[in-house]
Amino acid sequence: MNGWTVAATATLAAGVGAAAWGVATGPLRRRVVAQNLSTSLACPALLLLSEGYDRPSYVDLALLLALLGPVGTLVFARLLAEDLAADPPRAWGLTYAVAGFGGVVVIAVCVAAGPGRALVKLLVVGALLIGGNLTASRALSGGFAGSRRG
Amino acid sequence: MDDPLIVVALVLVAVSATAAVAVRDPARQALVLAVLGTVLAVLFTVLQAPDVALSQLAVGSALTPLLIMLSVRKVRRPQRKKEADR
Repeated sequence: MNGWTVAATATLAAGVGAAAWGVATGPLRRRVVAQNLSTSLACPALLLLSEGYDRPSYVDLALLLALLGPVGTLVFARLLAEDLAADPPRAWGLTYAVAGFGGVVVIAVCVAAGPGRALVKLLVVGALLIGGNLTASRALSGGFAGSRRG
Repeated sequence: MDDPLIVVALVLVAVSATAAVAVRDPARQALVLAVLGTVLAVLFTVLQAPDVALSQLAVGSALTPLLIMLSVRKVRRPQRKKEADR
């Protein structure tokens, strides 16, 4: 094990573990937030793993998760909109903390990768991760209420 | 050499799979299933099977929850219509 895999283990145990506990218990508004945060915590963990195993192709996994995680959350935001409208989730502090953690991990992996095509890919992953996370959180808390119909 | 990492991933899978069975409401079950799909993808990555993890991510994190939520919506709608007709 090296420093990267230790960091990935800590992220998985503390972050994703807490998200799994949050999604299994409590009111619906906490569960949707925990589901959103589980994808945005697993994505930095996958980045750390790809760096730890020294396999740049594993970054594809993080790219796919950064792309599909917010899509999954938007599915819940759209189809649970009626249930969430009465009791909208508000966890902006936690959301920004997780987004900041993702940014820190992306910057650390970028510094380790050095300039080149890999750096561009990592920056795309980081932009998708943070942008998708914030967009999905806003959709969950009813930020796009005008677009809800049917 | 990566034993703690594998143990953490396995425990996460076991916990979220148990939670997916224990939760009763289908909508909440879909939420737990989405997390289970993500955690399974991480486990496959840790076990050095990134190709399996890619397909698991595509299916588990977006498609399965979408299918379940659409079916839940379809089942609930006629009930609400009946209640409104009364």
